[in-house]
Amino acid sequence: MSFIDNFLARWQEYREPGYYKEFDYAWTMTIDLDRCTGCEACVTACQAENNIPIVGERGLAQGREMQWMRIERYWEGEYPDIKLGFIPMLCQHCDAAPCETVCPVSATYHNQDGLNAQVYNRCIGTRSCAVYCPYEVRYFNYNNHHWDAPLDEQLNPDVSVREKGVMEKCTFCIQRIRQAKDTAKDEERRVGDGDVQPACVQTCPAEALVFGDRNDPQSQVSQSMNDPRAYHVLEEVNTAPSVVYLKKVETDAG
Amino acid sequence: MQGEREISYADVNRDVVRSLVETGSKYYITLGISATVTLLCFFFPWFYQLHYGIGAAGMNQPTVWGTYLASFIFWIGLSHSGTLLSCVLHLTNSEWRKAMYRSAEAMTLFSLLVAATMVMVHVGRPWFVHWAVPYPNQMEMWPNFRSPLMFDVMAITTYLTGSSIFIYMGSIPDFAAVRDRTTGWRHHMYVLLSLGWRGTDTEWHRLGWAYTFLAVLIIPLAVSVHSIVSWDFALSVVPALHQTIFAPYFVVGAIYSGTAGIVTVMYFLRKYMNFEHYITKLHFDNLGKLLLVLSLIWTYINAVELFTGWYSETSFEIEALRYKLFGFYAPLYWEMILFCAVAPLLLISKRFRTSFVPMLILSIAINIGMYTERFLIVATSLSRQYLPDSWRVYVPSFVEISILVGSLAMFITLFLIFVKIFPSVSIYEVKETLPEPEPKPQTKAGVPEWQPTR
Amino acid sequence: MSSIDRRDFLKLVGAGGVGTGAGFVLRESINHPVEQLIPYPVPPEEFSPGIATYYNSVCSMCSAGCGITVRTREGRAKKIEGNPAHPVSQGRLCAHGQAGLQVLYNPDRLTGPMSRSVEGGELLPVTWEEGISQLAGRLGDLRANGQGNSVCFLSEGVRGHLAGLFELFMDQLGSNRLLHYDFAHPQTLYAAINRLFGEANLPYYDLQNTRFLLSFGADYLGNWISPVHHGLGFGRSRDGRDGVRGRFVQIEPRMSLSGAAADEWVPANPGTEGILALGLAHHIVNEGGYERGDRDAWVASLEAYSPAAVAEQTGVSADTIIRLAETFAGTQPSLAIGGGAAGQHSNGVDTLVAVNALNYLVGNLGREGGLVFNPPPAVGSGANGAQATYTSMLEIAEDARQGDIQVLILNQTNPAFTLPAAAEFRQAIAEVPLVVSLSSFMDETTAMADLILPSHTYLEAWGDDFPEPGVGFSAGAVSQPVVSPLYNTRATGDIIIGLAQALGLTDAFPWSNMEERLQEGWREIHARGVTAAEADDFEDFWTGVVKAGVWGETSRRVRPLAVESGVIESIGVESPEFSGSSAEYPFILHPYLSNTLDDGRGANLPWMQELPDPMTSVVYGSWVELNPTTAGELGLVEGDLVEVESPEGTVVAPVFVYPAIMPNVIAMPIGQGHTNYGRYASDRGVNPIEILSPQVEPETGDLAWAATRVRLVPTGQRVEIVKTGGVSRELGREIIQTVDAEPSAGESAGLSSIPVTVVHS
Repeated sequence: MSFIDNFLARWQEYREPGYYKEFDYAWTMTIDLDRCTGCEACVTACQAENNIPIVGERGLAQGREMQWMRIERYWEGEYPDIKLGFIPMLCQHCDAAPCETVCPVSATYHNQDGLNAQVYNRCIGTRSCAVYCPYEVRYFNYNNHHWDAPLDEQLNPDVSVREKGVMEKCTFCIQRIRQAKDTAKDEERRVGDGDVQPACVQTCPAEALVFGDRNDPQSQVSQSMNDPRAYHVLEEVNTAPSVVYLKKVETDAG
Repeated sequence: MQGEREISYADVNRDVVRSLVETGSKYYITLGISATVTLLCFFFPWFYQLHYGIGAAGMNQPTVWGTYLASFIFWIGLSHSGTLLSCVLHLTNSEWRKAMYRSAEAMTLFSLLVAATMVMVHVGRPWFVHWAVPYPNQMEMWPNFRSPLMFDVMAITTYLTGSSIFIYMGSIPDFAAVRDRTTGWRHHMYVLLSLGWRGTDTEWHRLGWAYTFLAVLIIPLAVSVHSIVSWDFALSVVPALHQTIFAPYFVVGAIYSGTAGIVTVMYFLRKYMNFEHYITKLHFDNLGKLLLVLSLIWTYINAVELFTGWYSETSFEIEALRYKLFGFYAPLYWEMILFCAVAPLLLISKRFRTSFVPMLILSIAINIGMYTERFLIVATSLSRQYLPDSWRVYVPSFVEISILVGSLAMFITLFLIFVKIFPSVSIYEVKETLPEPEPKPQTKAGVPEWQPTR
Repeated sequence: MSSIDRRDFLKLVGAGGVGTGAGFVLRESINHPVEQLIPYPVPPEEFSPGIATYYNSVCSMCSAGCGITVRTREGRAKKIEGNPAHPVSQGRLCAHGQAGLQVLYNPDRLTGPMSRSVEGGELLPVTWEEGISQLAGRLGDLRANGQGNSVCFLSEGVRGHLAGLFELFMDQLGSNRLLHYDFAHPQTLYAAINRLFGEANLPYYDLQNTRFLLSFGADYLGNWISPVHHGLGFGRSRDGRDGVRGRFVQIEPRMSLSGAAADEWVPANPGTEGILALGLAHHIVNEGGYERGDRDAWVASLEAYSPAAVAEQTGVSADTIIRLAETFAGTQPSLAIGGGAAGQHSNGVDTLVAVNALNYLVGNLGREGGLVFNPPPAVGSGANGAQATYTSMLEIAEDARQGDIQVLILNQTNPAFTLPAAAEFRQAIAEVPLVVSLSSFMDETTAMADLILPSHTYLEAWGDDFPEPGVGFSAGAVSQPVVSPLYNTRATGDIIIGLAQALGLTDAFPWSNMEERLQEGWREIHARGVTAAEADDFEDFWTGVVKAGVWGETSRRVRPLAVESGVIESIGVESPEFSGSSAEYPFILHPYLSNTLDDGRGANLPWMQELPDPMTSVVYGSWVELNPTTAGELGLVEGDLVEVESPEGTVVAPVFVYPAIMPNVIAMPIGQGHTNYGRYASDRGVNPIEILSPQVEPETGDLAWAATRVRLVPTGQRVEIVKTGGVSRELGREIIQTVDAEPSAGESAGLSSIPVTVVHS
């Protein structure tokens, strides 16, 4: 085909979202809002696993929270007909991520596992990705962080400690995914369902979080995603997230 | 068109050279103060921020952008002054621009430079900011060409390059004129700068052609640069930012703010560089008319923004607008409307337009209002995104305000240095508006005598 | 030009200054100090750099006793997870459990023994030999003079062989003053279960299999007795069974975490939960088709508690009471639980008897999804044996003031913080000549000690635990050290054994350390043949138990379902009594255990201070929760500082407008207000326990900590409350989407499929 024909044929491909359309694994998480109790075990587990800094009272008073997984709370109604709903919010690893297009130095990109990856040492800190993210799940290091010794003995050696000026966010515990893939490769098999769980999924007492490969129709997450209650948050923004929420069931008890 | 009194070519030469050569203590004091303020208010806080991190500023989660970006856009906006005056009005053959456009172009250049420094201040790791420039490197990494910030880099670099060439090229005959009328180190400097200009017909012809050619090229640049800067915001999905009106909004705002900036600079230039005869009521009158038109367009665009947000009937857009008008930053919004939409209506009166001090005050007010507009775009939209539980208020910190003041001082410093090196009023273009002088009686040597004033 | 003029000089100075400054700062910012890597010449055995080693152990952050798995790298603990094999945690863990790493690596740990050589003097470091001999010397003297009973041992709630060790030690000394003190120990619940069912241990509430849970004040997902297991149960009850979705109702004056998870939150006046339960019981017995033989006895006891009669006092409409009763009786299996503030009124025991009696009335005792009785723990008498009530603590204080207590030994308990000021406990401790603390941290009580013999944290020590409440069958786990001890501390058991040996009690204490003691104890378990042990060899058994982090036996408890007639006659709940008059003190104070800081023990953990309170998102501080209408009437907005004044004292905290609390109730979280508990906890917030009135539940003598009345006095000042949340209303944005009913199977998928192409390498 001539250059023009070739280009026109590929035009449709260029217009579709995502760097990769063919994922090796397509990591997906489902969050069942009917099971989530808002206990925030996932928040602390993520902090422990990913060397998330302790911001301190002053930093939080300035509004600089650092919680890759956070719990948002929404009240509904007025006393006495009042309800409170919790929704865990983390990087949705969108297949059409607004943050990926805007980083001038490609510090954030979509990898072949369907993850939105953040490269700390490439980030120059323009913070435009945080502006573009509609879920506001990107967190900036406003200063170098300090752990009073010996709290730093607890830091996870598989995860880097970020310096000031770089952006960070949930990675679906990519260090665990990498470890699982390495082990699977040594054993000449694919990563099985349940072999890898991010810290938040592993610790949730209510088992509200499920993680796995949606390319595998037998996986738990595939079953969970196809629940009639499944939806995406901010669907209208068309980011094609990899996190699927299951609607909360609101019934009267009586 | 001329001033109140007939001025001759000789007067032009003398006045401009005198403006370059004569420096009183007032100049040194002003330069000293502005340089000190730059150092204290811009550089020292910036070094503190480099040491501590962006946390020295007031940004937080999720309002990750603040006054630095607002300043960046403001300074880029201010840079559109030169383009308008130099290029657009050149192509329309307006005579009244001729006395002012050199300084306006200088404003463009320096605004762009200050804007570039704001980028360095804004970014989290400025020592790696060169990664945004496509150069072959051992990492084998190109920057991300899909990013509007990359477009920014391209556009602003092009604009900077283009404007620098433009102002330099246009000044060559003036450098030559000054070269012939100065001695000492200045003479040597101007010899270098004037590139051996002899004033031949061919040279003039080529200059005129090249100048017009570049002017034509720079006009689309001006439109595209600020459109691209606006797309930093408009290509996001944030409710109040994701709007198609942003490109014209920013371009109009830029020209508006730039023109107001010219008025401010012209006032001071006129007063302190003894250019009363070159920059006259006529110029202010015309600038005033321009400002009025731009103000009306700007007001219209603001109204359109409110209207489209309202009839969209989406919670996100309406909340963003409601917050702008009645939320935490509401006083700033109404101040902006007052300064940029209401006050400029005074320009309908010709008497107002031809009074110098009122025009100065109005132009400063307009720029304050325009800065507020940029600040509001950043602060109100990031404060009110999709998820209400993440709404946060942002208040600039002392470091940020200091850097803003310092950036202004930096601009003034650069401009002060400029007026002593570049002829700030274009000699040859002003002469084009004047009748040709009668040849002077020749001396015995055949060359009219000229004594440099010192 | 030969000389530089002013203009050039200024330019040079400016450029030079800028250049130097920029260069210095940039260099300092870019270069980071190189870290030193010193390899081990002879690395320890279980130490493969780059490869993680996992140890199973038991969490001690609360009293639930979840089994944990700790991931260590190069001898450092990195991450705590739930142990998948342990029946309580089943691989899951709560935020407190995760924060155990910060207990181990806390910068404010006590690093070695300390002693005050002079009364009122400074605490100075001493050696273990000096410390042990100082204490043993004193104890020996007292024992020899037959004054052993003047030794008092106050510990946090402890189970397993360590509890037995304490008992043995005190017994050998001749003292009967051994008490475990925890603020939140469910004293009244034990008493209720004992009265109603004759059981000494807590039952197992089978949330997992229930279809309808009625909780009277028990924050079972937050802090109440076993939150991880309840979380598991909640999740599985909701969504773990095909087509069956458990429903949850929470009855309390202030919405707790469990209240948020519930399908319905029913606000009931404080202290009337038991009366409400009897209202339900009345309907079940009279109208609900109750047919057992003791029906007449029940009808007689419940005569005064018809739904209409109790509606006004409880604040819950009769229709709601009837509806709940019918659902509770009609949905099988159902479950009623009670606890928390509901059990901490003057009628606390009666309330919990009433609540648990509901289980009996609908016949869910001993069945799946209902209330299952636990066998007694394999070791020890259960957690309630030596547990102190408020009254027993007052007695200790009185004894101390009388001079009857010569030595007070404290183990990881902080009564100076967790007792109200009205108890005057601090002043009492000051009267004790020798106060010894075995705590790992300096806290308010330890600060008053004359001798500190700091213990290892739970991640550094051997121990064991038999969870309470049990899980329906006998289970336990051995807790092993996961890292070498960081400091010059010793395991609590080792300290006791060391003291015993110094006292010459080698017959009763033949072990050299706690590990040996444990092994001997577990030999008995092994020998009883209680387990279906695959290995007959004890060594294999022990290794297996330690490695697995769990032990259990499969036999369960079966017992008759009757409730004694005498008990039925005793059913009845009096109106709650409050301190202070309602005219002077118009509000009822509802203190609650903070979801992040528990009873204050978590305040020195930065992760827990930083974790937003789930309901309010506030961090690093205290607050007072007010109903919106009340706040409006008082003209208070968020951040206004108010004085919360009870008849006993005042604390000052900022207001938080809380949408889900009754108008005449104000709530405050417990946990902040430390004065001496490390850098993260000290001088932060206020401790509402201080101002609690010494109102007591008469049967147990426990503190009725939900029975204090207060008034609010605005100070006129305002502060900015530090919280991570913004506007906690959806404003029509459908972020949390809901469905009206559990969709039936077979409905089409709600999500348009995400296009992916499957490619395998």
